[in-house]
Amino acid sequence: MANRILVALKGEAKGFFRAKSTVFWTIAFPLLLILLFGAIFSNTGAGKVDLYVQDLSDSQTSHSFVQHIAAIDSVNLIEINKTIDLDQYIKDHSPTAVLVIPANFAQAFVPGAGLNTTTLLVRLDPTQQSASAVYSIVNGFAEQANLAIAGGTNVITTARGDITNTQFNYIDFFIPGVIALTTMTTTAFWMVSVMTRYRNNGIFKKLTTTPITRAEWLASQILWQLVVVFISVGVIIIVGMLAFNTHMTLNAVAIVTIILSSAAFSSMGMIIARFIHDEESASAAANAITFPMMFLAGIFFPASQFPSWLASVANVLPLTYVGNALRDSMVYNNMSSAVGNMLVVAVFAIILFVAGVLLSKWKTE
Amino acid sequence: MSDTVIEVEGLVKRYGDFTAVDGINFTVNAGEVFSLLGPNGAGKTTTVEIMECLRTLTGGTVHILGMDVTKDALKIKNRIGVLPQDFNAFDLLTVKENIEYFGGMFDRQLPADDLIKAMDLTDKRDEYFKNLSGGLKQRTGVAISMVNDPEIIFLDEPTTGLDPRARRDVWAVVKSLRERGKTVILTTHYMEEAEVLSDRLGIIDHGKFIALGTPRQIIDTHGTGSRCIISNCDNSCSTALKGQWPTLESKGGDIIIRLENKNALPEIIYALDRSGGNYDQIQVTRPTLEDVFLALTGKKLAAEETESNDGKKKRSKRRGD
Ligand SMILES: Nc1ncnc2c1ncn2[C@@H]1O[C@H](COP(=O)(O)OP(=O)(O)OP(=O)(O)O)[C@@H](O)[C@H]1O
Ligand SMILES: [Mg+2]
Repeated sequence: MANRILVALKGEAKGFFRAKSTVFWTIAFPLLLILLFGAIFSNTGAGKVDLYVQDLSDSQTSHSFVQHIAAIDSVNLIEINKTIDLDQYIKDHSPTAVLVIPANFAQAFVPGAGLNTTTLLVRLDPTQQSASAVYSIVNGFAEQANLAIAGGTNVITTARGDITNTQFNYIDFFIPGVIALTTMTTTAFWMVSVMTRYRNNGIFKKLTTTPITRAEWLASQILWQLVVVFISVGVIIIVGMLAFNTHMTLNAVAIVTIILSSAAFSSMGMIIARFIHDEESASAAANAITFPMMFLAGIFFPASQFPSWLASVANVLPLTYVGNALRDSMVYNNMSSAVGNMLVVAVFAIILFVAGVLLSKWKTE
Repeated sequence: MSDTVIEVEGLVKRYGDFTAVDGINFTVNAGEVFSLLGPNGAGKTTTVEIMECLRTLTGGTVHILGMDVTKDALKIKNRIGVLPQDFNAFDLLTVKENIEYFGGMFDRQLPADDLIKAMDLTDKRDEYFKNLSGGLKQRTGVAISMVNDPEIIFLDEPTTGLDPRARRDVWAVVKSLRERGKTVILTTHYMEEAEVLSDRLGIIDHGKFIALGTPRQIIDTHGTGSRCIISNCDNSCSTALKGQWPTLESKGGDIIIRLENKNALPEIIYALDRSGGNYDQIQVTRPTLEDVFLALTGKKLAAEETESNDGKKKRSKRRGD
């Protein structure tokens, strides 16, 4: 039995990699979405940069330093009161660039007081393209000050820190959604096309003359789809890292969600193919179901921004929960919510799979 | 008498109210080529697919290698080979990979290279299935159907839609299967094919056998006897013949006379000689299965010329079944 499943899987794999355009579109579709939407919605660094400043020195020297920075056209300076806990502030306001002027800043400028070095801390969200610009602006000021007060000796240094507690930007929201979308489109369309094609060209008939069972054949297809889906997911994560500096973790909850989602949407494809026998009409039907779902399930824009009637539509779509489970587990690190969403996906998967197996039958008569 | 490998008794198949197979009986012996000959929709595929355990039966019993099709489907499938009607394999796998794929579905399998050699496909071994001609696809199909070293091989219309040359190729394949000692069940609507290839055959129409036996037996029992054709008879010839055989047919300048007994031919020649008239030649034809079918049903078996044009359309329509 396992052998038959493996033989069928291997046959499918060979055929898949030989159909070059299928391979291309399977992998390229999610990447195009990411690159396109990522480019449109991520902060490109054009316009003003918001620079938050917490002045712990609160001296004349530091005030004039801040004023110099504020005079730069491209910088929009926002001061943070020195009594505020910075980490909490970052959590609440999610700034992308923060400059911390240390308490001992003014001493560096006291002539004859020896060389009191002081360090400016620049905390940046590395996913923002404006990050390095902000850093070089601050760094440039520090060097000028060094020249002026100490003849070029490094009295003022700059240190760079990350803002890890940032609110997530669009691409963080979007990439897990694209992974969710990929599990749906890849498997649903594969199943629809393979089942209608094999029924119409007689391959199913030939398979029924052999001992392989329907369940074994379906298992081989779903396993093969998991291979394809995980290849796509790997490529998506790598491109996300390279192009947008995102950091996704592919943990157990995410992996299980991807598997469940692939099973659910494979089964959905099976059910469509059961009722619509012609390959073109069947894939048109698959389009008619997946295309609206892609928008209504909050893949491109958070469902929380939808008007309430639309949000309640999102609540009944399986893809919504796949997207939520993946965002919660891969990006927000909110595991309890991720598991809850994953369980909803599991329920959809079981219902669709059972319906699919019961409805699709091989024997013509 | 050799072993009986197939026994079909009172087989009935209904699709709803429609009776597709209406109580047929036959047996097939080991090593025989047995054909089901009949027009479109006669019930050939229904009959063989019940034997292959692909369809359920409504009535009667079918035993394959001593096993009941309603009880031992899996065991039977392991011991038979099937080339379904309108066969297709995986387009983007090669001939060899396709054979290995289907081989992998069985408990035991023959080496693909042996089958490739046996089916004379060595040149095409690494060719994608989709790039093969119709005849080569069918040969690949036969190779695949032999992959589990079956005792019985079912070929459902293996030559429909093929050009005459490819059709002869498939005939050679069927003969080679017979030489290997396989039992072959063949369906066709080409009477010539059935006549050339079969040891025995059943002519099926509207789900019933209208004749069963060796080609010779069927022709002798149901045939209309041999006919003599005298081409380009002049007037004095035809007058002389018409006097003696009032029932003769004349077609253009040709005269056709049914030979009712063995004296008929010498008598015709004597009459022609005496008339002193002119004619081109005398020809004697044996009746064919086509004539038998025509005589039994009053209709033609198959319109061979239109078949190849219609083949595709007819097939794609049937897929919706
Ligand atoms: N699944 C089905 N449901 C309903 N009717 C069917 C089904 N399969 C076949 N039939 C009908 O049963 C009859 C016999 O069909 P069958 O396919 O056995 O004929 P055939 O002799 O193989 O014809 P062909 O030469 O066209 O292949 C036809 O009238 C056909 O329309
Ligand atoms: Mg048929």
